Amino acid sequence: MAEFSAAVYQNEFLPDGGTDVNAIVTITCKGAGTAGQSGAGSAGEIIIVDTSGSMGPATMAAAKEGAQAALAEIVDGTYFAVIAGADRAMLAYPQVSSGPGMVQMDARTRLEASAAIDRFVGSGGTAISTWLDLAGQLFSSVGAVTQRHVLLLTDGENRERPGRLDEAINRATGYFQADCRGAGTDWQVAEIRRIAQALLGTVDIIPSPAEMKAQFQEIMRNAMARGVADASLRVWTPQGAEVLFVRQVSPTVEDLTHRRTPVNPLTGDYPTGAWSDESRDYHVAVRVPAKAIGQEQLAARVQLALGSDVVAQGLVKATWSNNSELTTRIDQQVAHYTGQAELAQAIQEGLAAKAAGDEATATTKLGRAVQLAAETGNEEATSKLRKVVDVDNEETGTVRLKRAVEKADEMALDTASTKTTRIRKEPTA
Amino acid sequence: MNCPSCQAALAPGARFCENCGAQLDAAAAPAPVAAVSADHPLGDAPISAPTRKPAAALPDPPAPAGRRACTECGGEVGPDLYCLECGTKAPSERDHFREQPAPWVAGVCDKAIGKNRNEDAMALLAGAEPGSRAVLIVMDGVSNSIDSDVASLAGARAAREVLRMPLPVGMGTPESRDAAVRKVLTDAAAAANTAIVAVTDPDSPNPASATFTAAVLEGRRITWANIGDSRSYWLPDAGTPVQLTVDDSVAQAQIAAGVAREVAETGPQAHAITKWLGRDSEDQKPTVGALEVDGSGWLLACSDGLWNYASEPEALAAQVRAAATSDPLALALALVAFANGSGGHDNVTAAVARVDLTPSAVPPPPPPPPVVGQNDQTPTPGGEPSDG
Repeated sequence: MAEFSAAVYQNEFLPDGGTDVNAIVTITCKGAGTAGQSGAGSAGEIIIVDTSGSMGPATMAAAKEGAQAALAEIVDGTYFAVIAGADRAMLAYPQVSSGPGMVQMDARTRLEASAAIDRFVGSGGTAISTWLDLAGQLFSSVGAVTQRHVLLLTDGENRERPGRLDEAINRATGYFQADCRGAGTDWQVAEIRRIAQALLGTVDIIPSPAEMKAQFQEIMRNAMARGVADASLRVWTPQGAEVLFVRQVSPTVEDLTHRRTPVNPLTGDYPTGAWSDESRDYHVAVRVPAKAIGQEQLAARVQLALGSDVVAQGLVKATWSNNSELTTRIDQQVAHYTGQAELAQAIQEGLAAKAAGDEATATTKLGRAVQLAAETGNEEATSKLRKVVDVDNEETGTVRLKRAVEKADEMALDTASTKTTRIRKEPTA
Repeated sequence: MNCPSCQAALAPGARFCENCGAQLDAAAAPAPVAAVSADHPLGDAPISAPTRKPAAALPDPPAPAGRRACTECGGEVGPDLYCLECGTKAPSERDHFREQPAPWVAGVCDKAIGKNRNEDAMALLAGAEPGSRAVLIVMDGVSNSIDSDVASLAGARAAREVLRMPLPVGMGTPESRDAAVRKVLTDAAAAANTAIVAVTDPDSPNPASATFTAAVLEGRRITWANIGDSRSYWLPDAGTPVQLTVDDSVAQAQIAAGVAREVAETGPQAHAITKWLGRDSEDQKPTVGALEVDGSGWLLACSDGLWNYASEPEALAAQVRAAATSDPLALALALVAFANGSGGHDNVTAAVARVDLTPSAVPPPPPPPPVVGQNDQTPTPGGEPSDG
């Protein structure tokens, strides 16, 4: 049985008239078990491989090998299917045209699915909306499946009329989760990130075919470790208060503010998807009416809810004080993650400006990113930034755009922009 | 054995006197104890309280049932002790508690917004019959002493034990009655003192100390005892409100020397008390007094957290009128809210008992002396101390 716990990091002291309360809430899950094994329903996995004409022979071969490696990670008994995606989606396995579109994994179905993947041939265009829609139909064809996860690989830009992909993303949002990977450098980071963010998954670049297999294995291994099918971050705020934002800040920055589902007038749920044994940090900012010096009040109850069951709770407090030593202190965690969120934004805006030819803005934004990455000790961001800009002064954020930049390096910087580092020392094993 | 009526000699086992015909069943027993007089609220209690009938002992107030509604908005308080509506932190039972031993007696003891902990304490008792008998004890832990919050509550509850039985009426003379009552109230203060010392760390460099005020209502007679600067007031519906107790404080000494009350009570030494209970107390004898009331009204015992904002009896009476309620708990809450609304700089306690003197409801008054104490007079506002 999974156990959740919550810890709150904040400076609860507000000055006279202060209204804004910031807190980092760490939610930790232990004993999650294996996907689909909790007795609450089965897990379903769908592997979607881009089989458009743009997939070169090496990429295709690596994709096949990767998909087959992913099959090997799927626990027996899990419902699964394989989709070949081009300008329309084709159900590659199981080869049925009606009834349940997924089968349970065992030695035989694993072999059959592998054989089906072997027969992939690249041809046609890229219409990702059709891939997502077919995945949704397949999941809904098996009522026993309550935990739904997709692994999606593409190598190119979506070629559909504007809006169609967003409509498909909306249909899938809240129904299944998707981890997305882009092979090579001909795909659009922003486009695929949109899918992954809406569907509570990750996005990354697989620059060379050689890395395909390991990435697929890892994604599927992680998916199978998520023994808690679906959980919500439940945030209560007092009468008269306003939620400024709710944002996941670790392991990646994901703004959840606009994904609130009301539970009652004072409480809203924010989606967090499935959980494995892991720890995630959330930054919650609440504006409360100021009270008199010495008053204490609760600014938020931050809970983790499985359906209607609350399994962990952290209390975010506000105490008004006239002791400036207390009120001027900024919590280390809050400061760190505020910087990390700004870092993600600076990288994304800097790269967008660079792509649009606005070198001045790109230089300023990426310079700020270099500064923030150094300040917050985000070494991965620092090393990825240094492949895109020449750094004159890290402290002041003075940089020059590199003349010749590998496209893959720029995309890797972009996909990694939302990854954050922690400042707390993790317990060492 | 002789006949109790005619003294004639009786045969053993006789049921009637052969001489006068008197029935001997009842008379065979020792002479009967004088019956408790129904029209005297105190009966004919002997001096020693423990010899009183156990049935006369007042029970402790009922324990609070469940979590109280939010003090700010009235919303439900969650298991995490914050309001489910407005998020206000519910005070701990020590920081804010209420007692209502009977529907006509209630008190509220509150930390107040300006303090970090509640060093005030309160212990109440009351008989079920309105106007029968009530005990209001208020103690104020001295804030610069260690653990005075623990000490004051222990003290108040110990004093309550002593006052659980009706006050004695003595041997029939005013002097013996005064002495008996004084002894019980002095015992109550001593019990409070013992309890405070018992919870004080023997090595404490700054031992806990507290004030003590007790007001006992029995029928229409109020008896009070005081050490320090917590107070009792009689606030009649009609007529002049009076402060019953006299502070043992620097301010009071200044007032006695002619300084205006307003000046003395706001001066730098305003809250310095000259008597207290605790390990370093030099005098644990309370000042004792009594008052016979002749109309309906409220008996109030309170700490300085309340009277700081309404010291004159008339000012407190105005707050009672403003509360416009006949419910004692509502009144106590209103007085605490008034203190908090005025700044709430100190812990505040307000305990009240309603006295309703309607001709039919109240038995004719007994003829005891009006005042217990050396100064045989009815106190006037800020009147002379009846020094014990």
